[in-house]
Amino acid sequence: MNRDRTRAASGTGLVTERILSKRQSRRKFLKQAGAALAAGAFGAVPLRGYAADAINIGGLYPTTGSMAQIGVGCVAAAKLAVEMINEAGGIKSLGGAKLNLIISDVQSDTTVTRTETDRLITSNKLSAIHGCFASALTLIASEVCERAKVPIITGSSSDQLNKGRSYTFTPFARASQFAKAQLQMSKLVGDQPKVAVIFENTAFGTATSNGLKELAPGEGVEIVMFEPYSAGFTDASPLINKVKASGANALFSVSYLNDLILIVRTVKQVGLNIAINGGSGGFVIPDFYKNVGKLAEGLQGVAHWNHDMDANAEKVNAEYKKRTGEFLFEYAGGLVAQTFMIADALERAASSDPQKVREALSALDVSSGFAAMAPGGKVKFGPDGKNIYGRPLGVQWQNGDLASVFPKEDARAALMKS
Amino acid sequence: MVETVIQAVINGLLIGGIYALVSIGVTLIFGVVKIVNFAQGEFVMIGMYITFFLFSYLGIDPLLSLFVSMPVLFTIGVLVQHFLIRRVLGPNDMPQIFLTFALSLLLLNLSLLLFSANYRTVHTFYSDEAFHFGAFYVPVAKLIAFVVAMGLSGVLWAFLHTTDLGKAMRAASQNRDVATLMGINPNRVFAVAFGAALALAGAAGSLLMPFYSAYPFVGQIFVLMAFVAVVLGTLGNVVGALIASLMMGIAESLGIQFVGADSGLIVVFAMLLLTLAFKPSGLGGGRVR
Repeated sequence: MNRDRTRAASGTGLVTERILSKRQSRRKFLKQAGAALAAGAFGAVPLRGYAADAINIGGLYPTTGSMAQIGVGCVAAAKLAVEMINEAGGIKSLGGAKLNLIISDVQSDTTVTRTETDRLITSNKLSAIHGCFASALTLIASEVCERAKVPIITGSSSDQLNKGRSYTFTPFARASQFAKAQLQMSKLVGDQPKVAVIFENTAFGTATSNGLKELAPGEGVEIVMFEPYSAGFTDASPLINKVKASGANALFSVSYLNDLILIVRTVKQVGLNIAINGGSGGFVIPDFYKNVGKLAEGLQGVAHWNHDMDANAEKVNAEYKKRTGEFLFEYAGGLVAQTFMIADALERAASSDPQKVREALSALDVSSGFAAMAPGGKVKFGPDGKNIYGRPLGVQWQNGDLASVFPKEDARAALMKS
Repeated sequence: MVETVIQAVINGLLIGGIYALVSIGVTLIFGVVKIVNFAQGEFVMIGMYITFFLFSYLGIDPLLSLFVSMPVLFTIGVLVQHFLIRRVLGPNDMPQIFLTFALSLLLLNLSLLLFSANYRTVHTFYSDEAFHFGAFYVPVAKLIAFVVAMGLSGVLWAFLHTTDLGKAMRAASQNRDVATLMGINPNRVFAVAFGAALALAGAAGSLLMPFYSAYPFVGQIFVLMAFVAVVLGTLGNVVGALIASLMMGIAESLGIQFVGADSGLIVVFAMLLLTLAFKPSGLGGGRVR
């Protein structure tokens, strides 16, 4: 085409000829320059490849939508963990290969979670995945991972995650264990605990509260009220009215942040003197204290991870705090440990193949280092993907910080009796 | 038992006052401009964020911020009516529905982008306080919200019944063509109606802030209740929407108390279904007031 134009122009006189040749030379220059640039760009890839191919780790978190607040913190922690591993020399058995974190936004939505997990797996060569914090989302993501045969490691607490799955790993305490810890904590406050249980009617709320109900008789705790509520209510007063009428001296609220703020405020307004245990979820994140303020002091909860657990946890917490200005909350902290567990598995597998990583994960057995940052300090997976040493912590808001107060061997501060 | 019922009614009335502010806005727009504003909840959300930022950056009490949120939202309302709604007013309803729905989605996602999904709360000295009368209690922040909401509803009612512009709005709502023939400028009337409705949404936002968290999705909770109230109280009927809102607040509260906390709304929706079955034009009767 170019040549045709030049030929056609050659008979039209000198001036045009000159202009055209000028134009053509610019075209030529652009072509040549483009080729040179392209060669440079493509050339760079094999060069980096000689060192070691990066290992892709998928992260599924809701960074938009109603759960975004926790999801965004998770992503910050996931990035921090990957940086720590890469700065320490990457995966040595794979020639110092660096981890490459690929984050996918599951938008706090179950349908999106399914499609995003699918998309993440099919469009990237992944070695492992971690996510999604909310149990309802993780249940779906883990199903997709199971079919695609990619291991997923999660801090979600639903016991259902350990049923009929062989690619799902849960290094932290299960919902049923949280329940037991919560019941035992209620006995620290009074000898005759009468507990009111209120919970949001979601997978998370129902699983947690049913665990409480089943275990209460065995722990010698009387449940005087057991009530589901629809999440996102406009007014907690009728619910607290009911709690008051039940004569309970301890209140277990299985809720996310927004509802819990309303509940705590309403308890204060009613003038009800009751020990509140907020469980996990929205209760053990920095935002809770920011929103509730002084009213949060003395409130109890349970967590699968806390930043005052050991020296390693405190170290990671300090770095996270420097970056975000907030302490490293339960889910995000656990996620740092999870990333190190994946790194440990990659190291032993000496392969980025997801099936080999799964095998290495199922043989994981650590009791030191960042991968062992879990209550009890040991991680080893049973055949159901559950950490056989997994146990929860009892925590309490004290002076704007979350302190581990239960069980005795994990306590870093004394329980404040309000 | 009796005490519990009375307390539940108190709780229901107080939250019903907030529902009323939102639903009166929806019904006013429907009555006068004849469109359903799906974005009404998002304007409540904007009112909440205005209040939140005024409080956290300038230390302005949420009640004083009423004097900012209401004029700001009135202006937004006039602009929305003038630049958007006016273009789709015609014999066909679909563009209007899509427009307000799109506006709702746009505002929601814009606020997610600008403010993130975090919950924002305002903590005033009266946020956690309550008046106690014997066995009963009335939260201060909600009582204030209720009283102001009723006051604003009264002002709107007086405006509609005593001023020329208010009468023109009622005339336009009863019969647009005749009103136009009588020399009423529909564009001006529509703009004021839209502005007033949004100002009420802004007021609801400011009044909610001392006891409820602001987040991008917050409007959707209130707009659902508002739509039910508007249908219950007859579309376009301001007094009907007010009464229906209070009834719904009480029904919800009693439902939570006696049916279950996850099914408080069942009572509300049962009320709606029965009303539609036996009195399809709503409890306000067909008459538009």
